[in-house]
Amino acid sequence: MAVLRFDSVSKQYPGGREALAEVSFDVAAGEMLFLTGHSGAGKSTLLKLIHLAERPSRGAVLFNDRNLLKVRGRRVALHRREVGVVFQDHRLLPDRSVFDNIALPLILRGLRRGEIGKRVRSVLERLGLGDRERALPAQLSAGEQQRVGIARAVVSEPRLLVADEPTGNLDPTLSTEIMALFASLPERGTSVLVASHDLGLVKRMRKRVLVLDHGRLVDDIPPEDLADG
Amino acid sequence: MAEARMDVAAASSPMGTWFDHHLYSLVASLGRVFRKPWSALLTVSVMALALALPLGLWLVLGNVERLAGSVERSREVSVFLRQDVDDARARQLAEELRAQDNVAAVEHITPEQGLASLRESGALAGIIDAVGEDNPLPHLLVVAPAGDELMLAAALEQLPEAELVQHDVQWRERLDAWLRFGGRVSWLLALLLGMGALLVVGNTVRLDIQSRREEIGVLQLLGATDGFIRRPFLYLGAWYGLAAGALAIALLVAAGLALREPVAALAASYGSGFALGGIDPTWALAVIGGSTVLGWLGAGLVTGHFLRQTRPTGL
Repeated sequence: MAVLRFDSVSKQYPGGREALAEVSFDVAAGEMLFLTGHSGAGKSTLLKLIHLAERPSRGAVLFNDRNLLKVRGRRVALHRREVGVVFQDHRLLPDRSVFDNIALPLILRGLRRGEIGKRVRSVLERLGLGDRERALPAQLSAGEQQRVGIARAVVSEPRLLVADEPTGNLDPTLSTEIMALFASLPERGTSVLVASHDLGLVKRMRKRVLVLDHGRLVDDIPPEDLADG
Repeated sequence: MAEARMDVAAASSPMGTWFDHHLYSLVASLGRVFRKPWSALLTVSVMALALALPLGLWLVLGNVERLAGSVERSREVSVFLRQDVDDARARQLAEELRAQDNVAAVEHITPEQGLASLRESGALAGIIDAVGEDNPLPHLLVVAPAGDELMLAAALEQLPEAELVQHDVQWRERLDAWLRFGGRVSWLLALLLGMGALLVVGNTVRLDIQSRREEIGVLQLLGATDGFIRRPFLYLGAWYGLAAGALAIALLVAAGLALREPVAALAASYGSGFALGGIDPTWALAVIGGSTVLGWLGAGLVTGHFLRQTRPTGL
């Protein structure tokens, strides 16, 4: 069953620039895939359509068979709670501790305080941040900050996790660690879509790859083709 | 739809969630106040001054009204009878006036009673002693009107026995007009300065929102509703309003204490026991409550505007 479906989606910004043109693809439940392409290919626009920061000009984006075009008002917020987002620049709240940053999605969902503590500590342990829960983001290394960003995105066990250049500022070793973290999520039921222009990293991960070029989906490479080199 | 994958048992009840979100916003807003204490103090001070001005004027008017109430006696019309009117005729005239519909009461003060009263006051004791047995005071009828004082005074002036008719109706009317005018001015001031206070809070919250644009964007992407984003700012506005209301009351109390003694001394020099009235605790609580609502409203207007502006088209 597809968690996410893009059906002939086009996006034209005011002024006429076409960021996406007739893009169609599916993401299966528990699948991890990459979205790649040069700068300006339309990766960020595609991710924005998923978490409803933008609307498509034509076509339909279906999330769990729900047409996102029909999601409005308060339901936009509820939809976003089902999609975890990881940013290249982490976007942690600077005046909140690691614990408080990660707890935010759970607070929004209205979980009991005891349950929030349990879940946050569990994800902190999983991501190797068990001893950093009281630290402020500024007291963390870049790799730790990115892991906190991932922890925040996965703590509420979203259906889909989208990551926009999550390893853009990290060294190769940390990048591989972060990718290994992402790769472990599908077995917990979370589909993962990672936008990256680091082709070396993408190839090493041997996952399905969507290639965008000038807003068009020019290739959809299955993992076995990557394994073949 | 969002909670589909979360364990339902892990979630609070709707009321529990509502309470938790409010508690979260309350704590977050207090944190913001304490992180920028000088900015908060400045905002609260400006708001407090804006509130204290009309409130102070109200208090002054209240005291003037109280003072005016103490000279209510001036509604009465004093009729000094001619010297040749004897005691019997004065009593008869008093009875005739009492029978009239536009007269509430008549007090007859004989020349002897008038002289005794003057002697008691002590102010003219020397002159009274010099007068000796030859009492120059006429009979006096103090008439309390039951209706229009002006008409009654005019009718009394027509009495052949009346030498002089004295009344302070015009003075009263002028004072009442001034009090009404002052009351209206204080309402207008309250309206204008209340709006000013609203804008002060709005501007402070707007600056806070500007400095937290990125944070708000992150919260929106994490699935925060407009209500969740707005709430800490509403509490922030309410804190400012609450503190400003309390400070305004404190300023007024301090001003009242500073003026109490000189006002009492001034009143005493006119032979009056008038003292400045204090601030009624219920009134003070209403002011603090009102300013809290004002702060909340100011913050609500600004955050509502911001959220409408930042919402992508069609969302």
